[in-house]
Amino acid sequence: MTETLKLTVDRREGLAVIYTEGYINNQGGEQIASAAYQLMEEGYHHILLNLVGTKIVNSIGISILIEIIEKMIEIGGTLAFCCLTPTIEKTFHIMGLAQYAAIHPDENAAVDVLRGKVGEAGGAAE
Amino acid sequence: MVSVSPGTESQSWSRLLPLVGRGGERELMEDLLGRWCRARGAAGGALYVDGGASSHPESLAECQVRWGDGPFPERLPRVGRGGSAPGSELPTGVERLELPGAVLLWVPGGGTATATEETAEVGYLTVLLGVVLTNCRLRRRIKRQSFEANYRGVELEALYDVGLAIASTLDLDALGEEILLRAVSLLDARRGALYLISDGEHRLVSWFGGTARERFEDPGDGPLPEDVLPETEHLMAAPIAVDEDLRGMLVMADKESRFGVGPFTPEDQRTLALFANQAAIALENARLHLDALEKERYERDMQLAAEIQRQILPKGVPSLPGYEIAGWNRPAREVGGDYYDLLPLDSGSDDSGEQTMERLGVALGDVSGKGVPAALMVSTLHSAIRLLMGRVETGPRLVERLNRHILASSAPNKFITLLVGELDPETGVFRYVNAGHNPGLLLRADGSIERLDPGGLPVGLLPGGTYRADRVCLELGDLLCLYSDGITECASPDDEELGEERLIELLRRVADRPVGEVLDAVKEAVATFAEGAPQGDDQTMVLIRRKRSG
Repeated sequence: MTETLKLTVDRREGLAVIYTEGYINNQGGEQIASAAYQLMEEGYHHILLNLVGTKIVNSIGISILIEIIEKMIEIGGTLAFCCLTPTIEKTFHIMGLAQYAAIHPDENAAVDVLRGKVGEAGGAAE
Repeated sequence: MVSVSPGTESQSWSRLLPLVGRGGERELMEDLLGRWCRARGAAGGALYVDGGASSHPESLAECQVRWGDGPFPERLPRVGRGGSAPGSELPTGVERLELPGAVLLWVPGGGTATATEETAEVGYLTVLLGVVLTNCRLRRRIKRQSFEANYRGVELEALYDVGLAIASTLDLDALGEEILLRAVSLLDARRGALYLISDGEHRLVSWFGGTARERFEDPGDGPLPEDVLPETEHLMAAPIAVDEDLRGMLVMADKESRFGVGPFTPEDQRTLALFANQAAIALENARLHLDALEKERYERDMQLAAEIQRQILPKGVPSLPGYEIAGWNRPAREVGGDYYDLLPLDSGSDDSGEQTMERLGVALGDVSGKGVPAALMVSTLHSAIRLLMGRVETGPRLVERLNRHILASSAPNKFITLLVGELDPETGVFRYVNAGHNPGLLLRADGSIERLDPGGLPVGLLPGGTYRADRVCLELGDLLCLYSDGITECASPDDEELGEERLIELLRRVADRPVGEVLDAVKEAVATFAEGAPQGDDQTMVLIRRKRSG
């Protein structure tokens, strides 16, 4: 297993999905933050973090994810997670991330919810 | 540096205080900084807030808010660090103002007021900034403490989960990875590896990140080899031990922070030791489970082997008019190395449809050793005898062929003592070859004994062995007793053997009874003699009596 994070961004109508593969640590967290802030600047206020390829996250990574959630709340957007391992999901619940960012079992369920929010907001970035 | 004395005009307070309840923290700081700079006549200003433990180790704080222009750095050095006085490293023309848990840098000039001018407005704004910054600092401290408390919860949960995984998973590889990933994650390590002792050295089982050394000798109390996790700066390890018996090593490398990597703390070492303990329990559990599985598989195999062997041994005795026949085998373990067979040769049926046989093939063998290896040789012997008897004359040629076959198909130092022969029911002649087996006994009707002595070496012992055929004739009332040495070498608790003499005496005492009862008497005598002592060897006996009236 590698300690580096591979990241892919999929921009869709009104929302964006960030796929991660690898360790969400300081470097990985910064990569995610950089991608998320870029998307926010582009006008994407609804972002889904799909952690399907991530089995491990440390406290630095969690603190960076919290910062992203705070920034998203500041701009009135939504950050959601999907495809978490049971360990990561439990960690997110204990750390309080789940209070401010919804956790979905799979991407389709998450996208459905986020699309609803896009609709409520009356559209976002294309 | 500028000292500030707040003004006393209540107007200013009533005008400024409503600002505090407006907007977010950052917006408020930006607003107040802008107002401060304008009131102070500054060209620009920047606020640096102390982030406490989460701050960069080399700096007091990162710049949080800027207003206007100025050569403001991204970060401020820690106050007094390296003996430098506060502000001594500031760019030329930049002034520094200390606030609660923060520093305000500003560039004089460019505004409506002069740089040295003290106004009540500046004083009020400075006090307000101090209040806002104190709030900000407290909020951050609470947030940090909450984060740390939550993370202790994650640590406890992880240890609990690993404990559960140990109880529910016995896949050592999966457990090893689980423990390693949890440890790397909770210790904020960049990389890690799990080693287990094998053949006296630590061998890599699982690793995370980069590459890891495949094996290394246990360093004892010395340092780990530097290249355990290549291209790392800080290593930490905990031994995995069960009852002080070293089983492996859990190694972590490079503790992460927001600003790079550093050494691990003593608290980290304690946490790693907890995971190493969990790993030790997991290893022990998995080992015990594997042992139990192995035992279960062995017992299953033994049951199967015993069943196969039961199929090999005769299920009954052939009916031979004029004769009584009985056979018995009791292995010392689940499977044994003794073998006997009673094989009708040239059998057919008479005019009335009754089965008839011209001769009865008899074989009784004893494989050296016991258990599965011996049982496998029994199987080989059984196949060969079944294949050859009846096709090859029961005599030296048969045993020579058996010898070649057993030699070719068995391990060195394995051999079989064998007494094989055939009985002609009409004449009572028993032609036999005794290949190194203990002498069979022919108990004559008058009580005398004749021994069926060996006429060659055991089969499978040496190539090119030669054998001698012998013959005895069973007269009316004679009893032929073939047996394995497990009977005569049956030991009492005092290690005394039953011996041939006691067996002969017994046979004489019960000779008049039906052979089934004779056999029962032998079994009982053996059991009585042993007095419950463990059976040391397989026991086998074949009895053939020529009835007094045919």
